[in-house]
Amino acid sequence: MDGHGDAAQSRWCLSQVKGAVDDDVAEADIISAVEFNHSGELLATGDRGGRIVIFQQEPENKSPPVCRAEYSVYSTFQSHEPEFDYLKSLEIEEKINKIRWLPQKNAAHFLLSTNDKTIKLWKISERDKRPEGYNLKEEDGRFRHPSSLTSLRPMDLMVEASPRRVYANAHTYHINSISVNSDNETYLSADDLRVNLWHLDYTDRSFSILSSNAASYCGPHIVDIKPTNMEELTEVITASEFHPLQCNTFVYGSSKGSVRLCDMRASALCDQHSKHVKFSHSGRYMMTRDYLTLKIWDLHMESQPVETFQNDCIFDKFECCWKGDDSEVMSGSYNNFFRLFEREGQQDVTLEASWESGSPGCPLKPWRVSTGSRRKRNEIGVDCLDFSRKVLYTSWHPQENILALATVNNLYIFQEKLDEF
Amino acid sequence: MEYKVEAHRIMSISLGKIYNSRVQRGGIKLHKNLLVSLVLRSARQVYLSDYYSGACLNAQGEREGNEWEIVNSEREKFPPSVTDHESPEEPQNEKERQSLEKEAESEANRVDCSSTSEEKHYQDAVLPETLQEATNEPKESPSESTQAELDAVTGDSQPPPKTHVCSNRKRSAEDSESGNSPQKRTKIASASPKDDGEGEEMDTSNVSNLITIFGSSFSGLLSKDGAKPEAEEEDSGQICCDQMLKNLNPWSTAIVAF
Repeated sequence: MDGHGDAAQSRWCLSQVKGAVDDDVAEADIISAVEFNHSGELLATGDRGGRIVIFQQEPENKSPPVCRAEYSVYSTFQSHEPEFDYLKSLEIEEKINKIRWLPQKNAAHFLLSTNDKTIKLWKISERDKRPEGYNLKEEDGRFRHPSSLTSLRPMDLMVEASPRRVYANAHTYHINSISVNSDNETYLSADDLRVNLWHLDYTDRSFSILSSNAASYCGPHIVDIKPTNMEELTEVITASEFHPLQCNTFVYGSSKGSVRLCDMRASALCDQHSKHVKFSHSGRYMMTRDYLTLKIWDLHMESQPVETFQNDCIFDKFECCWKGDDSEVMSGSYNNFFRLFEREGQQDVTLEASWESGSPGCPLKPWRVSTGSRRKRNEIGVDCLDFSRKVLYTSWHPQENILALATVNNLYIFQEKLDEF
Repeated sequence: MEYKVEAHRIMSISLGKIYNSRVQRGGIKLHKNLLVSLVLRSARQVYLSDYYSGACLNAQGEREGNEWEIVNSEREKFPPSVTDHESPEEPQNEKERQSLEKEAESEANRVDCSSTSEEKHYQDAVLPETLQEATNEPKESPSESTQAELDAVTGDSQPPPKTHVCSNRKRSAEDSESGNSPQKRTKIASASPKDDGEGEEMDTSNVSNLITIFGSSFSGLLSKDGAKPEAEEEDSGQICCDQMLKNLNPWSTAIVAF
């Protein structure tokens, strides 16, 4: 991977594994969303049981060479509950599809979490003091001294999560994406056929943009690709995201293989090919992942991708994510593999997320997937890939080389060791 | 013939997945069903390709001939507001109601886009039949009479008119052994996923029936721009078994995992 001769080890090593390691996994414990916040200090995971677990980075050991990827549980709460839509006789799963953090404005943290139908805004705040002294009398009946009344006393740190907004009843189909706008006031939510624009403060309506291109922006949605006749359905929206810097630009990808870059001011559209879309941190590049390849697009160059990486996953929707400085990208794969692509050298490495394959701190050995019949060490035949073990959900720490990814019910945290060269 | 077995296997798995998705929690996942139906359709083309040995596999013609059957099967599978196939004709909200009202028209349009005179004859035959049956219905409101039209076409409540049988027989040679009317076949076959329980192990006759049902799902999926295995469509009729098998192999593993 590093080109310095010894390809037997990668720069990455396992830091932690969260979750039970037994084979019997309860459906509710299966992780369905992973997301670092903007500072990387907090890591949120959502599961099929509708719960969110937030991990916090340990504040000790600040010097770079020492492993900093130590995360411990910060808060756990039930975000969504199963619901029943009586009109349609449909059960609505409580599974968390996406988590997105809002940029931090004050001491509290805010995140958006969504299941198939409902988005919620959660406030996570710490409390380490509590007011005391409301009572005028002590427990034994004596009157309390006036100076001891109504004071703040230190207590054990408590992290509270409270729902601040519930954005409901705006999606007929299953929500697959949410994305916070750079204006920090609006966000979008996308289901299979529509994209809605919300203002964080208003839960009773979503917004539409009136433009000359009324076909795309009409009704309560900013994008609506539902055909008049559902039998003519050929494509669905697979992902949608706001540009990280331009608050009027967003993108959505379709299952048929097109990416549409939309400008809410002028409804300008352009077509490329993709299935899953992620903007780079700088906003200059866009990463798209379709059935077989991962492509990096320069937003200024519409005709073809800047870089293309081969992959071999066909059906499942694997998330992909950018490194903080946009120099590398990562995507999950089958067999609990995940792949890192270095853009500069066009190199990639395949690693495995497994608690068996090495102790924490030990560098991971790269894998190779081969089509031939001969097997060397750390090689696996393409026919032997376990399709039931997938790394669908990934997140890269925005500032450090720390990766979080989820296998079925385990959260893996990997750290890059910089002193291995 | 190995590819036929493989195609059959892929179709069985796909059908099982479609069936299971309808009974799973959370309702039908549109994207997943779209993908699985694409695989199913492609596997079906591979499976049926040997019935047209030497001749060019005119997938286009097949699709159009079976279009009248798609109404029932597709509405069963894909209306997002419906869970079971017993009540696809009950729209859940205003939008669904409107789209159903337009279905009758678009049905005619779909049949329109076929080019043969045979199918035009079919079109002329179908519409008067359905309208006639609709007017015979006691229901009065526009949406409900449209319901009746759709009911008539899908055969949930009405026996099939003869012209349906003729057209369908002409277009789908693979059904020549089962002499039943297509609509009855539709009924039986669409019931079989339920009756089979999990719908996983399906014998050949059921699969043949189901092939016709899913045969032309989604007029919109008529691939102008690349559905998956297209090798057999581009060939002038010389279908290489090995090549087809090679095309199928990644699909079989992938569909199992999906």
